[in-house]
Amino acid sequence: MPDEAKPLSKTDDAWVPSVCMGCYNCCGIRIHRINGKVVDIEGDPESPNSRGHICAKGKARFLDLYDPKRLLKPMKRGNPEKGLGVDPQWTEITWDEALDTITARLTKVREEDPRKLVIAHFDMPGYGISKAFGAAFGTPNLHWNRADYCGAAPHVANLLLNGSFNGELDFERSNYMVLWGTQLGAIVETIPLHAANKMAEARARGAKLVVIDPFCTNAAAKADEWVPILPGTDGALALAMLNVMINELGQYDRVFLKSSTNATYLIGEDGRYLRHLVSGKPLVLDADGEAKPFDDPAVSDPVLEGNCTVDGRPGKPAFECLKEHLAKFTPEDASKITTVPVETIRRITAEFCEAASIGATVDIDGHQLPLRPAGIHFKRGSGAHKGGTHTSVSIHLLNLMVGNLDVPGGQRGVNPVGPFWAPEADEDGMLVPAQHIAKYNKPYPARDPKTPETLDLNELFPTALFTRGMFAWGIREPERFGIPYEAEVLLHCRTNLMMNSHNPETMAATLAKIPFQVSFATFVDETTEFADIVLPDSHDYERWDQFPVNDPYAFITPGPGEWYWLMRQPAVEPPGEAKPWTNVYLEIAERLGLLEELYTIGNDSWGLSEKHKLDPTVGASVKEIALRQAKSLLGDDFTFDRIQETACMITREKTIEEAYPRPFLTARAPIYMEHLIDAGEHVRAVTEKLGLEWDFAPYTPLLNYFPCHAHSHSHEAPDFDLFVVNFKIPFITFSVTVENLWINEIARGNPYTFNVMINRITAEKKGLRDGDRIRIESHFADGEGTVKVTELIHPDCIGIPGTLGHWARAYNVSKYQGTSFNNFLPAPSVEFIDTLSGQTDSCARVRVTKIG
Amino acid sequence: MSKYGMVIDLDRCNGCNACVIACKVEHNTANGIHFTKILEREVGTYPNANRQFVPVLCNHCEDAPCVEVCPTKASYSREKDGIVLVDWDKCIGCGACVLACPYDQRFQVKDESTGFLGSLVDFIKADTKRAPSGVIAKCDFCYHRVDEGRAPACVETCPTDARMFGLVDEALRTETDKEFPALDRVVSRNNAFSLLPDKNTRPNVYYIG
Repeated sequence: MPDEAKPLSKTDDAWVPSVCMGCYNCCGIRIHRINGKVVDIEGDPESPNSRGHICAKGKARFLDLYDPKRLLKPMKRGNPEKGLGVDPQWTEITWDEALDTITARLTKVREEDPRKLVIAHFDMPGYGISKAFGAAFGTPNLHWNRADYCGAAPHVANLLLNGSFNGELDFERSNYMVLWGTQLGAIVETIPLHAANKMAEARARGAKLVVIDPFCTNAAAKADEWVPILPGTDGALALAMLNVMINELGQYDRVFLKSSTNATYLIGEDGRYLRHLVSGKPLVLDADGEAKPFDDPAVSDPVLEGNCTVDGRPGKPAFECLKEHLAKFTPEDASKITTVPVETIRRITAEFCEAASIGATVDIDGHQLPLRPAGIHFKRGSGAHKGGTHTSVSIHLLNLMVGNLDVPGGQRGVNPVGPFWAPEADEDGMLVPAQHIAKYNKPYPARDPKTPETLDLNELFPTALFTRGMFAWGIREPERFGIPYEAEVLLHCRTNLMMNSHNPETMAATLAKIPFQVSFATFVDETTEFADIVLPDSHDYERWDQFPVNDPYAFITPGPGEWYWLMRQPAVEPPGEAKPWTNVYLEIAERLGLLEELYTIGNDSWGLSEKHKLDPTVGASVKEIALRQAKSLLGDDFTFDRIQETACMITREKTIEEAYPRPFLTARAPIYMEHLIDAGEHVRAVTEKLGLEWDFAPYTPLLNYFPCHAHSHSHEAPDFDLFVVNFKIPFITFSVTVENLWINEIARGNPYTFNVMINRITAEKKGLRDGDRIRIESHFADGEGTVKVTELIHPDCIGIPGTLGHWARAYNVSKYQGTSFNNFLPAPSVEFIDTLSGQTDSCARVRVTKIG
Repeated sequence: MSKYGMVIDLDRCNGCNACVIACKVEHNTANGIHFTKILEREVGTYPNANRQFVPVLCNHCEDAPCVEVCPTKASYSREKDGIVLVDWDKCIGCGACVLACPYDQRFQVKDESTGFLGSLVDFIKADTKRAPSGVIAKCDFCYHRVDEGRAPACVETCPTDARMFGLVDEALRTETDKEFPALDRVVSRNNAFSLLPDKNTRPNVYYIG
């Protein structure tokens, strides 16, 4: 099905409203085109997520349109050998030859076993097309990318407690904001332009900002207090703070715990809920001493503490279990583990509790709501470790305990409730996130684990959201997991797996194991070097996309405001023979005879109302699909005339229930993860059958700190005396913007980009100075770097930012600049993953020596 | 008479560098040259360390030494509003102004290439002009925008609204200035300071926070 990758207007001097794809955040923009050429980008003043602003990356990206190394024709590989640094020996071919070759291979694979096809991309507006393609083809191996890298564990904590995919803070009312291993408000996280502006406003208003991070990031630079911490020990700190909060200060929101969590649920000796003998519902102990089902209208004031016996069964409230359990996590022990001073642990906990003003209320539009002007936001830095789920949930329980979840002033989920979705309560009263928000797999309720059929091994992780980091393991060793086939074809675009994955040597071996790889690319990056066929892709200023581009599960500003929906439209045509990859998927589907099935699946999954569903025998281009989606969401009267001035369509103000959902929800958040007991037993049965060594330690309902391998095995190699730690830079997105010359100019002028950061005291001990070249060895790989001596990093760490150290043969701007952090990390294996979430461990110890 | 000025709130700047790229795009500046930059420095010692971001640009001084020193009168303060500009037709690239500017905000264009290494990619917008090789170039307060009542590109772009462009002299306000705030009260209320006051250049870029 051909598509119109053509702009709507072609006047000589036009501002074309569209949506940025410089990162995943979908900021509304206006593209300035003169004489057929893009000359400028501005934030769209009508779009609530940019309000006329734009970041360095978004502003600079149009330069990439005119990069001389852009691919204009398809190419095929001449060299059968694939590996790091191997010259692919490209020759240009016609589209016909390329598509004939691809179709022939896919036809063969589909006949043998369609699951041999793996689809890899991190291009979210294209998910709808590739998902329908994958389903029509018959493969479950979809969307291999590194979304898990940041959020496999942290997202789980948000889904369990908020019913949302992401988290944020109520900048407008918060008086005390904690960023824990993340830089919300410093242009490197979700909804960045909004968050940066609101964070600046909040600080100007006098809100306190505390940043917990081994490196003094841009976010920490704006903090009232920077708390350096040893990488991977965040769980120990969070548990000690919970202990201080509950057992020392006695500061927790009893009303909230009783109404909105499972704190009152009685726990039996086997760790499971004590259930009503008839209804099977979890029991609570009411103030009158009687045990009643949690939702019995007769329950007046269930207790949080104490012991009881119900029908001869001893039990105690989950809160009592947690309280007793936490007593062992003393600030003194935590201080030794984390290096955060005992005084700081106690003081920050007390400050947070005080700022949360437990019991306070505020009147908003006639609704009396809790006011908790304090919140903690967490992400990859704290969560991407061995015990990632427990750590993320431990941090998030600090929020829960003060009752600040999704209420004014507090921590908030990103749109757990929307115009056509809401979380539900299961039979136990526990919160189940809406499918529209959870998107992939729901971490609760736990699924039934089974022998994997998918190369991301998600069947072994019944409490995970997504396990994309496991593709590298499943593709390398399918037989180990009982997977009865091997990956044979990879359709890849817009995710640089070689650079963004743990341990490039392992990734190279993984890619080399896939016999046939097709890469859609604007220019040949490290991953595309492994391709057999390369197809010239369009830039996002050159394509239509499905509507809305900004999926509300992550890309509509949370809290009060408006529901807004953005449409991407092209401003210019692709150069040479380049085409939008989504269009090519439709072409391939047509050649495979799958188009009708693809559209049939799309009719059910693309948000099309009955009236606007497609005739699958006729089909539609991406542009027409977007039009039908827009009519379905916005009304029949939508036409493309609506996107002449702005690509942002505002439907209505959020209701109070959408802006501050928690007080209106009956579903409860867990302080006690009872479901993990059964989930663990079920996983054990499967892994034992497979003869797999597995880690069941985190399958416990009470929270714990699980040291990463780098901590638990530190005695084995004392000369590996430093941790390597990563941080993000506001003007670089992943590995995406690094080849942009304008960005590169800033990067080269900034000492914290292409260097390796070492604390002054550590550098003195090792005799290192600014500019020294060093060899860096982890237990997994070696690398090199250039020293920057600084006060801004924990003395037991070296800091390496971003996704740098590129080596693609075609690169001519950033090649060999900076050091690759991911290079030093372990590949996924049972020792280096969180078996609850599939999060891969980002802790590694290194030895640093001066070269020459 | 200086009419316009800028107030930069150092508390709001998070060092994201959006302004630097905005300026680059707006002026199609030659490779390696930035009319505005964010200077960074570390303060304190670990663990009581921090970093400071200080955006810098031409101060459009009332008593501009660069204008004073120019042998060809290429450097001048615009009559109507005091914006300090360089007339490239008159500039002989002698560099006297580069030495005279105490703020290091004048740049000799040695190679006007922009965009890609070794190539001349033409991104000139209808309303901006690229500085040719051999001349001195600098921040022009985006006079082409200001004349239309639009704030400079760096101001408009800044995600945290750390930069404020407006009038330092209300008496000079005209119809096209209606969107611009009055800066005199911002300056006096916030203990604003300017850089290198001992140079007596009477800068029009102020810092608060």
